[in-house]
Amino acid sequence: QSKIKWRLQTYAGPALAEHVIKPAIDSFNKIAGDQMEIELFFADQLVPTGELFRAMQSGTIDAVQSDDDSMASPTEVTVFGGYFPFASRYSLDVPVLFNQYGLNEIWDAEYSKVGVKHISAGSWDPCHFATKDPIRSLEDMKGKRVFTFPTAGRFLAQFGVVPVTLPWEDIEVAVQTGELDGIAWSGITEDYTVGWADVTNYFLTNNISGAWAGSFFANMDRWNELPDNLKELVRVTFDSSHYYRQWWYWGGEASLRVNGTKMELTSIPDKEWDTVEQAAVKFWDEIAAESETKAKVVEIFKKYNSDMVKAGRPYRYG
Amino acid sequence: MPSWTKSYIRFVDGLNRRIGRFAMYGIFALVGVLLWSSISKTFFDPSLWTLEIAQFLMVAYYIIGGPYSIQLGSNVRMDLFYGNWSDRKKACYDAVTVLMLIFFLGVLLYGGLSSMAYSFGYFGKEPIGFLFGLVIGTEELGHLERSPTAWRPYLWPIKLVMCIGFFMMLLQVSSELIKDIAKIRGEEI
Amino acid sequence: MSYELIAILMFSSMMLMLMTGQRVFGAIGGVAVIAALALWGTGGSDIPFSSAMKLMKWYPLLTLPMFIFMGYVLSESKIADDLYKMFHVWMGPVPGGLAIGTIGLMVLISAMNGLSVAGMAIGATIALPELLKRGYDKKMVTGVIQAGSSLGILVPPSVVLVLYAMIARQPVGQLWLAGVVPGLMMAAMFVAYIAVRCRFNPKLGPVLPVEERTVPLAEKLRLLQAGILPIVIFASMMVPFINGWTSLVESSAIGAMAAFLAAVLKRRMTRDVFEVSVRQTLAISCMFMWIILAALGFGAVFDGLGAVRAIENLFTEQLGLDPWMILILMQLSFLVMGTFLDDTAMLVIVAPLYVPLVGALGFDLIWYGVLYTITTQIAYMTPPFGYNLFLMRAMAPPEITLRDIYGSILPFVCVMVLALGLIMAFPNIALWLPHYVYGL
Ligand SMILES: NC(=[NH2+])NCCC[C@H](N)C(=O)O
Ligand code: NA
Ligand code: NA
Repeated sequence: QSKIKWRLQTYAGPALAEHVIKPAIDSFNKIAGDQMEIELFFADQLVPTGELFRAMQSGTIDAVQSDDDSMASPTEVTVFGGYFPFASRYSLDVPVLFNQYGLNEIWDAEYSKVGVKHISAGSWDPCHFATKDPIRSLEDMKGKRVFTFPTAGRFLAQFGVVPVTLPWEDIEVAVQTGELDGIAWSGITEDYTVGWADVTNYFLTNNISGAWAGSFFANMDRWNELPDNLKELVRVTFDSSHYYRQWWYWGGEASLRVNGTKMELTSIPDKEWDTVEQAAVKFWDEIAAESETKAKVVEIFKKYNSDMVKAGRPYRYG
Repeated sequence: MPSWTKSYIRFVDGLNRRIGRFAMYGIFALVGVLLWSSISKTFFDPSLWTLEIAQFLMVAYYIIGGPYSIQLGSNVRMDLFYGNWSDRKKACYDAVTVLMLIFFLGVLLYGGLSSMAYSFGYFGKEPIGFLFGLVIGTEELGHLERSPTAWRPYLWPIKLVMCIGFFMMLLQVSSELIKDIAKIRGEEI
Repeated sequence: MSYELIAILMFSSMMLMLMTGQRVFGAIGGVAVIAALALWGTGGSDIPFSSAMKLMKWYPLLTLPMFIFMGYVLSESKIADDLYKMFHVWMGPVPGGLAIGTIGLMVLISAMNGLSVAGMAIGATIALPELLKRGYDKKMVTGVIQAGSSLGILVPPSVVLVLYAMIARQPVGQLWLAGVVPGLMMAAMFVAYIAVRCRFNPKLGPVLPVEERTVPLAEKLRLLQAGILPIVIFASMMVPFINGWTSLVESSAIGAMAAFLAAVLKRRMTRDVFEVSVRQTLAISCMFMWIILAALGFGAVFDGLGAVRAIENLFTEQLGLDPWMILILMQLSFLVMGTFLDDTAMLVIVAPLYVPLVGALGFDLIWYGVLYTITTQIAYMTPPFGYNLFLMRAMAPPEITLRDIYGSILPFVCVMVLALGLIMAFPNIALWLPHYVYGL
C-alpha cells in the first residue's frame, strides 16, 4: 500500500507558520512514518488565499488551516471566523465555545453541507492595531488604511478605518511602500515574529477581539479515505498545534508589552473605547438578523459572555 | 483551404481586433482609478474600492487584450533557431507546438469555468453542466461568492470576463493555426 | 516519481519546448498543464486559473503598464530629441564625445521609464544614425546603445526591480534606491571605457567638425533646459513616493500622467504617437502578463509536486558549498538560463527557489536584487537569446548587421561583469543610499 500524501496550505506565511503549524505537521509526519505524509505550504504558495476554500473543496489541495473569514468560505458561519468583534476576551474562550457551548456542531453541519470536513477549531492571539502613527483616540483611527480581516474591516469602517486586504506576505512591504498605514491583524507576538514591528511604531493596547478563531479543514473525500488511526492522529496532532498557540501567544503578549523595544504602547481611554464596544452590540444584532444560523451563533456568544460576567473574576473583570 | 476557414479567420480576427482596441484604452481607466486613489487619500477619506477595482481592470486589460497582442505578434519567442527558419518551416513547427498553447488555454478556461460556477454557488463536480443549466434555466444560483475584503464585491463578473478572454484567446490561436496550415500548403489567406 | 526526477523532467521539457520557438508563455504554460494533469492528482486542472487569480492579487504589477506607457510616450513623442541635442552640442568637441553623450542621454531616459526598450528605441532611432553619419565606429556605437539602454532597469523606476520585489517580498523603495549608485557607476564605467578607447584610437569616435562645434554660449545654455524635463518627471513620481504620500502604484500612475502631459504640452502628442503608445503598451503589457501567468502556474505545479524541495536540497546539502560559492553559482545559472529562457519567466520560476536560500545564507536581499538586475541585463545582451539583441536588430538602421550587433557587446559585457564584481565585493555601493534615505 502506498504512502498517503496530503497537501495542506495554511493562511499564515513562513515566519508565523514556524510556530503555529510547522511543529504539529512535523510530529504528524514523524509518527505517521510510511503510512502518510502531510506536505505543508504557506500563505498563497500554491493557491491565493482567496481561492483556498474552493481549492480544498475541489481537491486541488487536501487540507487547510485558516479562519473562515479569510478564506471566504461559502457558509453561514464565515463572519464568525477570524475576529468577530468582541466575541471573546481570552484565547481559552474559543475552545470552550466550540467544545462546551455547541459551536462544534454548528460548524460541522455547515461545512458538511458544502463538502468540507471541519476537523477542529482553535484560537490564536487578540486583534490589536500596529500602526506607523500613534492611535490615542478614535479620531486617530480615521482615514487609516489598515490590513485586517474582512468582517473586522466591515465593523471598523464605521470609525473611519479603511480596511485593505492584500496577500499576507506583501503586508510588510505594503506598509513600507505606503499602501498601508497599519495592521489590525494580530497581537504583539505576531507583530514581532513576522517583522511588522520593524515597520510600524505603535501598538494599541485596546483590542477588538481577545482571540482569533480559526480551524483545520479537509476535503471531505480525502478525509473519508483515511483509516481510523490516521484520522485520530490528525486530530491529536492538530490539537497539539492549538495547545502550542495557547501558551506561545499568551506568554508572548505579556512579555513583549513589558520587554519589547520596537513598538510604543498607546491606549484609547476606556470611556471612549466603550463606544466601540457598544457598536459591536449593534453589529452583532445586524449579523443575527441575516439568518437563522447566524442568530443561533450570536445567541451562543451572548449566553457565553453573560455567563462569564456573572462568574466574575478571573473570567471577566468589571 | 475550404472557404469557411477564410470567413472564420476574418470573423475571429476582426472581433478580437475590436475587443483588443477597446481594451487598450483601459490604460486610462487604470490611470484614472489610481489617480483618484491618491487624490481621495490626500483630500478626503481614502476610498475602499480603488485597489480592487484597479486589479480587476488590469486583469481585464491583459486577458481581453491578449488575442489582439497575438495579432500584433508581441508575444516573444525564443528565436535562437526559430529566427533563422523560413516562413514555411516556422509554420510547420508552429502548427504542431501551438497544440501545447491550445492545451494550456483549454485548461485555463476549464479552471475559469469551474471557478465561475463556484462563484455562482455551485459546489459539485460538473461545473460545465451547471453553467449550461443556469443558462437554460434548469439550475439556480446559490451562494454568490464575494471577495474576502471589506468592500466585498461579487466575484462572478471578473471571472466571467476572464473566461470570455480565455475563450477568445482560444479562437485567436485556432485562427493562427489555420493560417499556419494554409502557409504549409502554400496557399494565401 | 522522485522529486529530483520531476524537477529534471519539467525543466528539460520546458527548455525543449522553448527551443521550438513557440510563444514563451505557451511553452511554459503547456508544460505546466501537462505536468499538473499527469502528476498532481485531483484538482490539478484548477491550478492555471488560480495562478491568474494570484496574479490579480499581486498589486505591484499595476505599475507595469504604467512604466511601459511612460517609456513609449517618451520614445514615440520624440521628447528626447532636445535632450539628444543638448548632449550633442556639449559633448561634441571631445573624442568619442557623442558616444559619451549618448550614455548620458540613456541615464536621463532611464530615470523616466521602467524598461530598457524606450532607451533602446531612442538610441537606435535618434542617436545611432547621427553617430554613424559622423563617422563613429559602428560596432562601438551599437554596443554603446545596448549597454546604455540597459540602465533603464537599474536606475529607478524599474520594472524588473518591481518584479523582484514582489517575489523576494522586499520594499520597492529601497530596491530602487539601491539601483541608483550602481547604475551611475556603471554609466561612469562605460564612459571611461569609451574615453580610453577613443583616446588611443580617435578614429573610433572622431571629434565634431569645427562648423558644428561653434555654437554660441547662449544657445548652449538654452539647450541645457532640456535636462529639466526628465528631472521634473522623475521628481513628480519619486518625491511623493519616497515621502510616503503616495503608494507605489499611485506614483506610477502619476509618472505615466506626467509623461503624457509633457508630451501634450510640448505639442508632440500627435494622433500617431498616441496610437502607437497606447497600442504598444497593451502589446508589451500582455506579453509580460501572459508570461507571468504561465510561469506562476508552472511555479505552483513545480512546487506542489515537490520539485522545489529537490533543488533546495541540492544546493544546501548535496553540494556542500560555502555561501559565496552558492551565490556565484546562482549568478552563473542565471546567465546560463538567460541564454535561452525569458527573464520574466526566469524570475517567476527560479527566484522563488533562490531568494529564500540567499536570505538563509545571510546575504542582504536588497543587495541581491541589484545583483540579479545586472545579471539580467547581461543576459539581455548576450547571444543567442537576448531581448536587447532582438530589439536592436529590429530597430537599428540597415547597415548594422546582426554580426555587428553580436560583435559589439563583448567589451560592454566585460565592463558589466566588472561592475557586478565590484558590487559583490563592496555591497555598500548598492546599500549606502537606501540605508541613508531610510535611516537604517
Ligand atoms: N521579460 C521580458 N520579455 N522582458 C523584456 C524586457 C527586455 C528589455 N530589454 C527591457 O528591459 O525593456
Ligand atoms: Na528606469
Ligand atoms: Na542572453
